[in-house]
Amino acid sequence: MTRKAATAAARRGPGLWVQGLLCGALVTLATPTAVLAGVLLLPAVIVHLMDTTEGRPILRTVLLFGLAASVRPLLALWTGGHSMATSLSLLSDVAAPAIAWSAQGAGWLLTQLIPLLVRLALEAQSKLEVAGLRSQRDRLATEWGLPAAGAATDEAVDSPKTR
Amino acid sequence: MPTPPIKSTPPRAGGPVQPNPAAAPEPLIAGRYGVETSRPLPGAAAGLPAFVATDQREGRAGLMAVQVDTAAPPRAGVFSTLADFPDPRLLIPLAYGPAQGADERPTWFLICSAPPGPALWPLGAESIRPWGETELVGRLLRPLAAVLAALEARRLTHRALRPHNLFVDSTPGAPVVLGCAWACPPAASQPAVFEPPYIAMCAPSARGEGSIADDVYALGVTLLTLALGRVPLAGLDDDTVIRRKLELGCFKALAGDTRLPPMIADLAGGMLAQDPEHRPTTALLADPAAARARRVAARPPRRAPRPLDVGGIPVSDARSLAFAIARQPEQGAKLVRLGVADHWLRRVLGDTTLAGKIEETQRIRATEGGAEDTMADARLVVRAVALLDPMAPLCWRGVALWPDGIGPALVAEAANPTVRARIEEIVAQEVAFTWATARGEHCDPMELRVEAKQQRGLLRQRGWSGGLPRLDYSLNPLLPCRSPVLADRPVARLEELLPSLEAASGRADLRAAPPIDRDMAAFIAARDGGRLDREVAALGDPATPGAMALQQVSVLAHLQARLKARPLPGLAAWLAAVAAPSLGGWHNRETQEVRRKAVAEAVPAGNLKALLETLDDAAAREADEQGFAAAQAMMRQLDARLARLAGGTGARTETALRLGQETAAVIGLAALVAAIVAAAFG
Repeated sequence: MTRKAATAAARRGPGLWVQGLLCGALVTLATPTAVLAGVLLLPAVIVHLMDTTEGRPILRTVLLFGLAASVRPLLALWTGGHSMATSLSLLSDVAAPAIAWSAQGAGWLLTQLIPLLVRLALEAQSKLEVAGLRSQRDRLATEWGLPAAGAATDEAVDSPKTR
Repeated sequence: MPTPPIKSTPPRAGGPVQPNPAAAPEPLIAGRYGVETSRPLPGAAAGLPAFVATDQREGRAGLMAVQVDTAAPPRAGVFSTLADFPDPRLLIPLAYGPAQGADERPTWFLICSAPPGPALWPLGAESIRPWGETELVGRLLRPLAAVLAALEARRLTHRALRPHNLFVDSTPGAPVVLGCAWACPPAASQPAVFEPPYIAMCAPSARGEGSIADDVYALGVTLLTLALGRVPLAGLDDDTVIRRKLELGCFKALAGDTRLPPMIADLAGGMLAQDPEHRPTTALLADPAAARARRVAARPPRRAPRPLDVGGIPVSDARSLAFAIARQPEQGAKLVRLGVADHWLRRVLGDTTLAGKIEETQRIRATEGGAEDTMADARLVVRAVALLDPMAPLCWRGVALWPDGIGPALVAEAANPTVRARIEEIVAQEVAFTWATARGEHCDPMELRVEAKQQRGLLRQRGWSGGLPRLDYSLNPLLPCRSPVLADRPVARLEELLPSLEAASGRADLRAAPPIDRDMAAFIAARDGGRLDREVAALGDPATPGAMALQQVSVLAHLQARLKARPLPGLAAWLAAVAAPSLGGWHNRETQEVRRKAVAEAVPAGNLKALLETLDDAAAREADEQGFAAAQAMMRQLDARLARLAGGTGARTETALRLGQETAAVIGLAALVAAIVAAAFG
């Protein structure tokens, strides 16, 4: 183990071991569920491995969407005797994994689109505020012979476009 | 110093007057006297040019206009005092003002009654027929003694009494008429021979008002001149004349060995006494026999067997020594400082009392400064001269003057910076008090001290209301304002200033600068009796051109209100133009525009006070300043908010990301809940 990996492992703490233990228990004690869930939630697993941001917001959304799409197959597994055959049967139907994976893809897409939309809304609001302030400033400058808008204010006005 | 009341052009009431581009003096002096410069009257005005004048209001002839030299202004206070002078044997002044001169330039004239006939002493004549005793007493002495007595009763002196300024009419045996003496400073036109030595040693303009005893002296010399038929000591320079008078005594110096009628010799001897106290009074002269009998026998001056050399001048008596020291102040100071003078006084002249006094001045000198201290030397000379000759004038570093001659002397020496500097020293160091103290009982030191302090105060006043220009105008109440702005229409009295400025406002070449300059400021401060000192002083120390213009408007508005002057639209336009920068001092642009319009509206009305209030409304200014400060504060807040917005892009991106991901998670959670619910109930 490299020193960096060891440091990362140390930072993750005992949670990793608990997760591994739970996963191991699930695989051992409920193998059909583990197989079905593992396949259905494969994108979430991939995101789990790739999303290193704090709090893992993308994983959270993708996982929630994946779980939402996995509720019905899992329920079918548990009501169908909870066997490996049922699990594989459910997985053999392409629709279940496709729906689960699509839902997780949609979740990932939402995590990318919604921030963009929110940012656009915030920038629009900022622009409106700048325009109002500049108008007020211009009015004062005209009324009292004060200097017109300087570099700072120009920057403020221009910033939403340039950045 | 208040301006004496003089007949002058009254201010005209009426509406706004358009500026006159060809500003020129009023055609008539005091609104009634016209000057005919094409008809000169040679020899009619004691050496000054004179012309025929007419009273155009009353059609009165028999007047003359004496051309006044602006460097030697006329005597103030004589106009009102002599207005009802009862004796026709004196030419009295009537008015003073500018008119078109012979060279078609504005010239100052003094209107005076004209002589009834030719001068007693024809112009250019070296001698005339000697007068007999009866003629001298009947035609000259008695009439002029009465005139002098009347002048004395009015606390005036004549100071231009000499044969050249006496006139005779065609009536045989008629008394002589005393000519004009008012168009120049007292005794300024008198030759040294007709003045006592203590007057003659001063520069012509620095001789002061003197006393009636000095007129008696001049009358005595005139008596002697007419008795001799020639001017005594003619052809000698002034210093020689003075020296002879001091050495020999005035009568002996002038009459010499000439045989005169005994009565005339006795009268002239008394009238030419060195000490004015010893001369007969005017009342006594009205009775020549009594005056002759009362002759005071003055003790002849003590003469030294061996003369003392002062700068090449040998002196044999104390008064001659005083004169020599006054004329050679550096050598004189050295003689006194080194003890040569007191040694000579004690050992050679034999005057131990005087020697002791001079010794005392040495002791004072030693306490005042080192050997090279020229000011201490100058003070030493002042004291020494006053002790040696208590009748001598104030002698300071080669300048001899009487304290009341300081004003005219300053003006007469306007082109001589050295003499002006000396006179400035006299004022700045209150030398008159030092001199008066040394003279003893011959004058009142405290009175002179008060005057000296006042003059020093004016000299030391800061800004445009003080300094030498202020002294010039304060000490010469009829000195015309020397400002080039008023060159076309000069003024000598404050009442004439605003109309003259109104006339000058038509000249485009003047309007680039504010109307009041340094000279005019001093003139205003002096003529207004110090009421506007603070405002006038501030004219010289403006923070900005706009502030200076406002000060000018303030001063002129005060004058217009106080003098109840007519509307001055031209001047108002001039002031509004120079004060235009002050409108920039208003921060609020709307207020500025409103004020600009108000100024434009106030100009045609010619009301300077309204103009000032529009330009400089203190309450509105305060409100404007407060509003401006608030606007600046608001501006700072806006700039800060804009700056915050400018720097907030990163924060907004983070917020958007966080908010977007939270929203996506919430949607995911909602989907999960929905799926569970659907699975549970579906």
